[in-house]
Amino acid sequence: MELSLAWRLFKRELSQGQLVLIILAITLAVLSVTGLASVSERLQLAINGQASKFIAADRIIDSPNEIDPKVLQLADDNGLSRVSSMQFNSMLYAGDAFQLVTVRAVEQGYPLKGDIELNTGKAQGLPSANNIWFETRLGGLLGYPEQIELGNAKFGLSKEIIRLPDAGFNPFASSPVVLMRIEDVAKTEVIQPGSRVTYRYQFAGDATALNAFEAQAKPLLNTSQRWVDVQSGDSPIAEAVKRAERFLLLASLLGIALACAAIGIAAQRYCQRHYDVVAMLKTFGASAKQIRVLFGMHLLLVTAVGVVLGLIGGFALDRGITAFLPAEIAAYTPPMMRPIMLGLGTGFISAFMFSAYPLMRLLAIPPLRVLQRQLEGIQLGMWLHLVLSLGAMALLGYLYSQSLALTLTVVAAVLLLGVLLSVLGFFMIRLGHSVGMKTTNPLQLALAGLRRRAKQNAVQLVGFSSALVLLLTIFALRQDLLNEWQKQLPENSPNYFLVNIAPEETQPISEFLAPHLKSAPIIYPVIRGRLTAINDEVLISRDQQQEGVEGRVGISRELNLTYRDSMPPNNDLLEGEFNQDKYDVSVESGVAERLDLSLGDKLTYTIDNQSLTVNVASIRAVHWETLQPNFFMIFTQEALAPFAYTSMSSFHLDDSQRGLILDLIKQFPTVSIIDVGAMVSQLRQIIDQVSLSLSLVLVLVLLASALVMIAQTEAGMATRQRELAVLRTFGASGWLLRAATGLEFALLGTIAGILAVIVAEFTLYLLKTQVFELNVYMHWPWWGIAPLCGGLVVATLGIWRCRQLLSKSCGELLKGH
Amino acid sequence: MSENSAISVSHLVKSVVTQEGELTILNGINMDVKQGESVAILGPSGSGKSTLLGLLAALDSPSSGSIKLDGVALETLNEESKASLRKQKISFIFQSFMLVDTLNALENVMLPAELAGIAKAKDKAQAMLERVGLSHRLTHFPNQLSGGEQQRVAIARAFICEPKVLFADEPTGNLDSANSDKIADMLFELNRESDTTLVLVTHDMELASRCQRQFIMDSGCLSEKTAVQYVEQKAEESDEVTGEARAWS
Repeated sequence: MELSLAWRLFKRELSQGQLVLIILAITLAVLSVTGLASVSERLQLAINGQASKFIAADRIIDSPNEIDPKVLQLADDNGLSRVSSMQFNSMLYAGDAFQLVTVRAVEQGYPLKGDIELNTGKAQGLPSANNIWFETRLGGLLGYPEQIELGNAKFGLSKEIIRLPDAGFNPFASSPVVLMRIEDVAKTEVIQPGSRVTYRYQFAGDATALNAFEAQAKPLLNTSQRWVDVQSGDSPIAEAVKRAERFLLLASLLGIALACAAIGIAAQRYCQRHYDVVAMLKTFGASAKQIRVLFGMHLLLVTAVGVVLGLIGGFALDRGITAFLPAEIAAYTPPMMRPIMLGLGTGFISAFMFSAYPLMRLLAIPPLRVLQRQLEGIQLGMWLHLVLSLGAMALLGYLYSQSLALTLTVVAAVLLLGVLLSVLGFFMIRLGHSVGMKTTNPLQLALAGLRRRAKQNAVQLVGFSSALVLLLTIFALRQDLLNEWQKQLPENSPNYFLVNIAPEETQPISEFLAPHLKSAPIIYPVIRGRLTAINDEVLISRDQQQEGVEGRVGISRELNLTYRDSMPPNNDLLEGEFNQDKYDVSVESGVAERLDLSLGDKLTYTIDNQSLTVNVASIRAVHWETLQPNFFMIFTQEALAPFAYTSMSSFHLDDSQRGLILDLIKQFPTVSIIDVGAMVSQLRQIIDQVSLSLSLVLVLVLLASALVMIAQTEAGMATRQRELAVLRTFGASGWLLRAATGLEFALLGTIAGILAVIVAEFTLYLLKTQVFELNVYMHWPWWGIAPLCGGLVVATLGIWRCRQLLSKSCGELLKGH
Repeated sequence: MSENSAISVSHLVKSVVTQEGELTILNGINMDVKQGESVAILGPSGSGKSTLLGLLAALDSPSSGSIKLDGVALETLNEESKASLRKQKISFIFQSFMLVDTLNALENVMLPAELAGIAKAKDKAQAMLERVGLSHRLTHFPNQLSGGEQQRVAIARAFICEPKVLFADEPTGNLDSANSDKIADMLFELNRESDTTLVLVTHDMELASRCQRQFIMDSGCLSEKTAVQYVEQKAEESDEVTGEARAWS
């Protein structure tokens, strides 16, 4: 009986539109989770795919010696494709000319991801046996010989390399790269015991296999072996990807929290609407079990419809967005299982756990309510509701993020937000005490209403404010990330670097480029030096430290030093003043932290066998992700004047100006030119994809916020319905009631807006400093816009609902129909 | 308690604790209603009529005293057993009809029969609606029916399970006089036919006078009087003759 009655009630309520709100809330929760998960997985796959091209593989192991064959066997067992390569420095001879080069000896199959770009286009395959491919500048340095000698073997110089996919971005790399087959290395006999060789093992495959391999292989690596993936910080996009991932995750969690809130509010309304039905059923003798089964089934049906619609919507959303994505991204098809399971989980867990408390209250409605309508049954502890709601949120958050820390942070934040908003809202509304309804004018009626319903209004404020807080937070973060990326890759960001410019070439190169560039290129002098002491304490290397030598650890390599009169663009001064005195030095913040430096510390360098001591005068933040020349240490020109230097520069050329580069090579053959155009455009493409996903997330959060607001208005109007009916019965005009309701909601919305800005600024401060490493600033325009928009939106919703109610007769209103 | 008592009440007390202290709503009520009898409980608002109805119908528990309904002592029952007793022996008609908005007339009438697991609930409901003259309104929803029609649906619902006792709380309170008369006729006719005990709470003395016995509830005390006696008593208490009394006399 219960099942058929549940089905009948469900059918009728569905056709009469009484379940719209709760189904919509569940649908939206499922839709956003499913859609967002599948779109973000697709984008993530695409981003990783694009990023893989920067390391020519999905994963890399770098090792100073040959790796344990067990690790390679594991890769094979997991079905990964792999290539091995060796990298070493060696002298290369062409007749009388010679040049130190970096040799990359690779196996057939290289590169697993991306392409080798030659001056003739994309390379097909590898150099043939006894041939090497060379970087353009090597040709310039050696005069394009036909044959070269490497160790004891002779090779033909066949093709010019523009870029290797895993070349990375290092404008300071001083020796040109040559590419050869790994089988040819033996005959050169340059690799002897003790030779410094980097063995690189590159792997590619699907995500599951890669993860399995990672879990199995990583424990087998020793400390000298390095695991590299697209996010290891080696690629210039690592930071962008990491931030986008964090943003998507956070936004999704907040989206889930919002959708859950909407479900919670809607479930409460759903249960309240059934109070009389339960009382009546109990009066007619329905047992507790019958009522439990009846409403359990009813809710299950409601949830099932919401979930199915949500899954369809999520799938459609994924399809829709994919249709707008570039073909190469759309080609990535992530498995739909996880998004579907997440959607299902979200729908059922949120619907049941958020409805549990209102449902328990519903089931506890006493039959006596049929005679005494004000009876609402036992008041179960609110803590139970809180525990269940937060439990649901935590469970969903964990399912989605797989990160306990992030989940607990979000749950704690939501809890804090709720408590803070409830208390603040309650006190803001209860500023004064008032008696009577004050029916003289709408404003007084509204104010009186606000105070009388202080408790319910405080609850409503939590709903309105939460929606606004999350919306503002996501909006601001998205904007900041987009700005940050725009700063990283502004229009006309440099796509060519010139290095090894001799002092006498500086002026001619400037003059050569000036007519073709929009602004004069900045030329940075580069002097190589080693930091040897801090405050007269001689530094030791990390190797020495490992051997047991005690002392302060320095930087175990030469640094590229420069001098400047002013701070470089894109650097932020954190402490002190930029180089004022001759022996001042400006230090990058990361190095300052690593070396435990503070203002006034004395740094001693060895440059060209001479010693130079300077004082730390300032500490700068450097945006390493920008494709700009960046320096750890910047000196004054006077301090570095005695030392020999070369220069480097970067500039932007349009594609149409490429011919200029050939002229430059001819005119200045010893200058090395690095073309990062391909990298810049790839990076820009990735950022565009990520930006799109951020906008999508914003739209979904906006929808979830709107739904919370609508659900909250609906709940709010339910408490006002009887009052409206009474006032209406006593002849209050529709205008007065609409205006008073509108004003009351407008005031609520405005207060919610103010609270939301306060909490959003605080939340953003925490997120920016703790998670996203973004600049913190106040969003002053919000302080006006949020209360205004909050007031307008909430008032509009209130008036709209009020108009609907007032279209009914007084009788209907009084009966609560 | 006589052998054929449908309801037997002795020394019934109901108190509640308020902010001002304990408030006694019913103060030592005694009454006995025979099977098939119709009784009316009259009294001013707040006198405790509805509280008594709630207790008699096993919707609430007394502070002390005892109630026997069809021989079953209600104080010995837990909530689940009370629900079972209501399902088997009791039915209700309310002033505000208490129909489920989202179910149509037929489904509303079927509801108690389905709860009680009665076979062919649909056929029975259809027959009951025909009895109350609503065979043409089977698929109408409550908001598509007039007040009188809604109360007729409620009457059909009340009688579908052939209850031993029917409690009616102001069954004509929300209706105009023409509809009130029709509903009252229908109620008493069905009551007679089915030999149901009717306990009716009302302000309407005309309706009360159609019952076999009248009880007056005043300040938590119950006494059996005729409606005429009640009006006279009220008139003595106040120099002003009430509109009700004028209408009655």
